[in-house]
Amino acid sequence: MQENTLIDVRNVKKVYHVGTVDVHALRGVDLQIASGDICSIIGRSGSGKSTLLNVLAGLEQVSAGEIVIAGKHLERMTQGELILFRQKRVGFIFQSFNLMPYYTALENVALPLSFAGVPESVRLKRAKRMLDLVGLKTHMKHKPSELSGGQQQRVGIARALVTDPQIVFADEPTGNLDSSTSDEVIRVIIDILREQKKTLVMVTHDQNIAEYGDKIIHLLDGRITDVVINETKITKQNEPIGSGN
Amino acid sequence: MSIKDLLTTAFLNLWRRKLRAFLTVLGMIIGVASIVVMVSLGIGIKQATIESFAGTGSLTTIRVNSWSYVSMGNGAGSSRQKDLNKKAIATFKKIEGVQAVMPLIETYGIIKSGQYVVDTSILGVTKEQAEMFNITLAEGDFPGAGGSTTYEIALGAWTLQSFYSPDNYRQAIDRNGNPKITKDSRMQITFDYRNIYKQMAMAIGEDGSGEPQDPPGEFYKLKVTGIMDQGNNDFSYYSIMDASQLERLAKANKAYTNYDSSKYQTVLVKCKDISDVKSVKNAISEMGYGTYSLQDAVEMAENSTKNVQYLLGAIGGVALLVAAIGIMNTMMMSIFERTKEIGIIKVLGCRIDNIAGLFLAEAAYIGLFGGALGMGLSFGISALLNVFLASSGMRSIIPAYLVFGAVGFSIIVALVAGMYPAIRAMKLSPLAAIRNE
Repeated sequence: MQENTLIDVRNVKKVYHVGTVDVHALRGVDLQIASGDICSIIGRSGSGKSTLLNVLAGLEQVSAGEIVIAGKHLERMTQGELILFRQKRVGFIFQSFNLMPYYTALENVALPLSFAGVPESVRLKRAKRMLDLVGLKTHMKHKPSELSGGQQQRVGIARALVTDPQIVFADEPTGNLDSSTSDEVIRVIIDILREQKKTLVMVTHDQNIAEYGDKIIHLLDGRITDVVINETKITKQNEPIGSGN
Repeated sequence: MSIKDLLTTAFLNLWRRKLRAFLTVLGMIIGVASIVVMVSLGIGIKQATIESFAGTGSLTTIRVNSWSYVSMGNGAGSSRQKDLNKKAIATFKKIEGVQAVMPLIETYGIIKSGQYVVDTSILGVTKEQAEMFNITLAEGDFPGAGGSTTYEIALGAWTLQSFYSPDNYRQAIDRNGNPKITKDSRMQITFDYRNIYKQMAMAIGEDGSGEPQDPPGEFYKLKVTGIMDQGNNDFSYYSIMDASQLERLAKANKAYTNYDSSKYQTVLVKCKDISDVKSVKNAISEMGYGTYSLQDAVEMAENSTKNVQYLLGAIGGVALLVAAIGIMNTMMMSIFERTKEIGIIKVLGCRIDNIAGLFLAEAAYIGLFGGALGMGLSFGISALLNVFLASSGMRSIIPAYLVFGAVGFSIIVALVAGMYPAIRAMKLSPLAAIRNE
């Protein structure tokens, strides 16, 4: 175990009871992720990669094992405590963006701050800064329906980062985007997170996307089959980000 | 989430589904209006009952009798007597809430005018008492002390019409139906029946033991100063005289009037306010006197109209219940539609009590708008009813407490209806946010 381990997963199992059949989604996963790690989890569909992300984010309870994040045992927390934990420490990027269709980009980004009780003027200021950072300065008043897929996901990224979380979880963040937009969006994510020294746990089935991580975890049938340390770290691009569609 | 954010968000959530929100609110409007109109009719019936009693006497007056009925608890009882004297009257005056006390100096006399006579009850009243107890005249002035041989009197409201001949009992009314005796006719009063019914008196004398007859009672000259007001509640039938004058007459004719100046049969106690009546009445009852006030009758009537009010309220309540089910249905639909949205805000860190709060706030808005607009509709219906029911004596009254009560109640009903949907929303899994359709 490393010095600065942020996420410590110990022999985690997850069993779904579907009718009379037990489906073993995770069959004993051990994993350490250090603070500041950019980490990809890759696997085929049904490999348990989404389940692993869900239990890490506290969206699902584990059947057995321990998940310790920043010294806290997630498996011992109640629903209410898990929500507070997410409010304070976690940002989440969804595959299908999950923006509120009736809010503007700015309001969407500010939304998580309202849950934390941040006053409106403060949260709008912070949301503006985040949108600026992801390159959507000119689209603040747009509704999601007026934005392209790539722009919507940038709003999603801004929303995940606006609360200044320690960890960002991303569930197939480029799954709904075409390949060129995918590259752009993943670079936005990686660059900002590297600069802000945040931890990213990203699930993907796309090898190209997974390659952006420092650490690539291969999952198959609920077990980790391989952990590859990516030596060719993709660093900040020279070209300015956020100029795309 | 701050309360302001919570309320704003909840309102926007409703606003986004305007038609549905409106229909749900409409259900609430009808529910609230139906219950309010029903209750207002109940209140109208109660008010009408009280007013009909108030028309027959003063609601603030207590009638105190020297005797009272003591129940033995098994259906049997006995009456007991306690003297109502000047001392008792002084005590009554000291009871808190008492405005005035008037002993009824009351006697019975026969007024003679020409060949006609009339029997009348006479009440001795001072000017101040007349004012306090709202004894008013239809015409003329209050009787004063009069001259040395003349006594002033204000006749009862129907006394002039009641003169009759003691010989043939024919009424003193002319062909046109007007009384033959007027207030300016010459009148005399006596307290001795033998002066009027001479034959009867003689018959008794002959039939008697042969003892010598008492000398007949005197006649006294009367001067009519006024006529009592018909709307005088308890007092219209009485003729009134100055209290000390009447006392003098009654004493002089003790043989016929049985007048005892040391005690009274009845004392009237006037309270400052209707709310004082109960406590004053209890205090006097505890001293051992019999008491009666119109309040007793009003209370009984109120109890009997209470059931009618409950029934009316229940009929209106059914509509409100249906509206509450409507709210619940709308909220459940809304939660099913917003499963994903609720999941997303849970992932983004919205506390579950905030989620419950959002849905409860939506329900409360429906209750508030339904209640407020329902009150508006109620006032409209109430005004219409009062026009159409005017002839039937029924009325619809919406007092202020009903306005606030109804709006508050409708919010509470909405909150109760929203409780289950809110709990359902709390329990929804955040995983709904992850699933991709």
